[in-house]
Amino acid sequence: MQVNNRIIILVFTFCLLLLASQDILASDYAQAEDSTSIVASTEVGHTPVHLPSAFMVIPFVILLGMIATGPLFYHHFWEKYYPIIAILLGLITVFYYLLFLNDTHSLLHTAAEYLSFIALLGSLFVASGGILIRIEKKSTPWLNAGILLFGAVIANVIGTTGASMLLIRPFIKINQDRIKPYHIIFFIFLVSNVGGALTPIGDPPLFLGFLRGVEFFWVIQHVWYIWLPTILLITVVFIFIDFRNLSKDESGEKFSGKFEFKGMKNVFYLLIIVISVFIDPAVMSWVPSLSPLPFGIREIIMFSMVVIAYRTADEDILKANEFDFEPIKEVAYLFVGIFATMIPALQLISHEANVLRDSLTPGIFYWATGILSSFLDNAPTYLNFLSAELGKEGMDVGIPAEVARFANEFPIYLSAISVSSVFFGAMTYIGNGPNFMVKSISERSGIKMPSFFGYLIKYSIPILIPIYILVWLVFYF
Amino acid sequence: MKTIKEVLKEKRTGLFYGNRVLLPFSCHILKLNIENDLITDFSPRHEGVHVSENSDFMEIYFYDYKNLTDVITKYEVIKMIVVEKGKDIFNFKNHITLALRPGEDHIVKIEELGENQIFIE
Repeated sequence: MQVNNRIIILVFTFCLLLLASQDILASDYAQAEDSTSIVASTEVGHTPVHLPSAFMVIPFVILLGMIATGPLFYHHFWEKYYPIIAILLGLITVFYYLLFLNDTHSLLHTAAEYLSFIALLGSLFVASGGILIRIEKKSTPWLNAGILLFGAVIANVIGTTGASMLLIRPFIKINQDRIKPYHIIFFIFLVSNVGGALTPIGDPPLFLGFLRGVEFFWVIQHVWYIWLPTILLITVVFIFIDFRNLSKDESGEKFSGKFEFKGMKNVFYLLIIVISVFIDPAVMSWVPSLSPLPFGIREIIMFSMVVIAYRTADEDILKANEFDFEPIKEVAYLFVGIFATMIPALQLISHEANVLRDSLTPGIFYWATGILSSFLDNAPTYLNFLSAELGKEGMDVGIPAEVARFANEFPIYLSAISVSSVFFGAMTYIGNGPNFMVKSISERSGIKMPSFFGYLIKYSIPILIPIYILVWLVFYF
Repeated sequence: MKTIKEVLKEKRTGLFYGNRVLLPFSCHILKLNIENDLITDFSPRHEGVHVSENSDFMEIYFYDYKNLTDVITKYEVIKMIVVEKGKDIFNFKNHITLALRPGEDHIVKIEELGENQIFIE
């Protein structure tokens, strides 16, 4: 049987199981939460009666292990079979929850989170893929730092995915004569992750907090003074390394300094996607809820944008960008497995956080959220720690007024998890969706990127961890 | 056999059958990108790719792929940095970056990589 057919069958089985879970759930779901698409699975006060067995973390560990080792040791097997592996491991968790825990609630919530995640990532990926930016300037550390800082800022307007897709090719192009993997890695650090810590559009965890009741401008008010020095520190390290890499030899090549921007209509699509982020019953009461379906109007708009942006894109721009669905397909398949297999891990973490809540300080929340966000998806990690923080004060994450009150009365706790969930997404290729996309585009441009462990050991641990320790000492110790 | 310059000027095309690409010129391949694979080892020990030369054409086999049309999508290309046979391989000015675009009827379009496309040497 063809691999593609097997994948289709697996996806079909997955959908059937999710639909089955919806049928079972339909009656009690209506009584559940009013929020449509993104809701936590293991909030305080909603903790499932039966906790999963600790052994159910094994599929998640296997998947993470394979993501880390596959491209390194069994590249072609992995390239060919990763969709099947991700879905099969995800199915183990789905079956366990359906048959042994009879917990359909967690599955449906995870499906909703996944669909929101992939709708946002996919639409930003396709819309920005139809934009071409050309800058004919000589590569200098200052210009590179300027692009990275610009990307970090606009990540808060069009998301880390949008900013990454928009800028990665011009960034590679400018540096093509002297590019090294560290250029791409600093791009991942600043544009694909840390930059997006200022607004709920910047990174998915903050978006979840916004839907839960955290005011839109709360993040920028309480995080900017942490964001700014962190961004500057990382940029200073980059400038230092980039100057060391700067060749003394002048090629004599002339640069016109020309700046070219093509694909204006896709900017309009990006605008629609950004606006659609707010189209949610939890934010606007007039927006109809589609429950028990695991998606809402927002996701429909975003998926429509994928189709419209692709169909109406300029062919020459798509050719120049070598547009291909593979990077987003890779994220979609791997994260379907990650989202499913991490349900038990997150529930167990949430449970432990509740047990230990009296001894939990902002510093512990900072490190716990951060370390887990490095290897799990940062959005559900954030939500689970948010729920643990609220539970610690006897509040409920399901009530927006209580979340808003918590944000105002205990800002340091909320800022700790907001900062760390976004910042630590840069620690590994799997910490945040755009990381993988940037890696894939770079490899197709001829840049040999470091392996999973190479990235971790050579770059993120020596560069980011000292900076994050500093953040902890200054703000959360 | 035609030179690469002649092939590009005359807009001649190559052919592909499954994972086999036939090109109407002969060259040294320095670096090649197909999908996420970056290949710089063209020795017989490398199991993923095999290059062979005939009197009128050269052929490249991509053993890791059954059919190129399954992996090369509409806007993608196979990129390679090559040097014309007989030219000084150590002179970067002789390095040419080509884009191979498999299309319909087994035809492979051969183009020099566009100014907006990137393939780093």
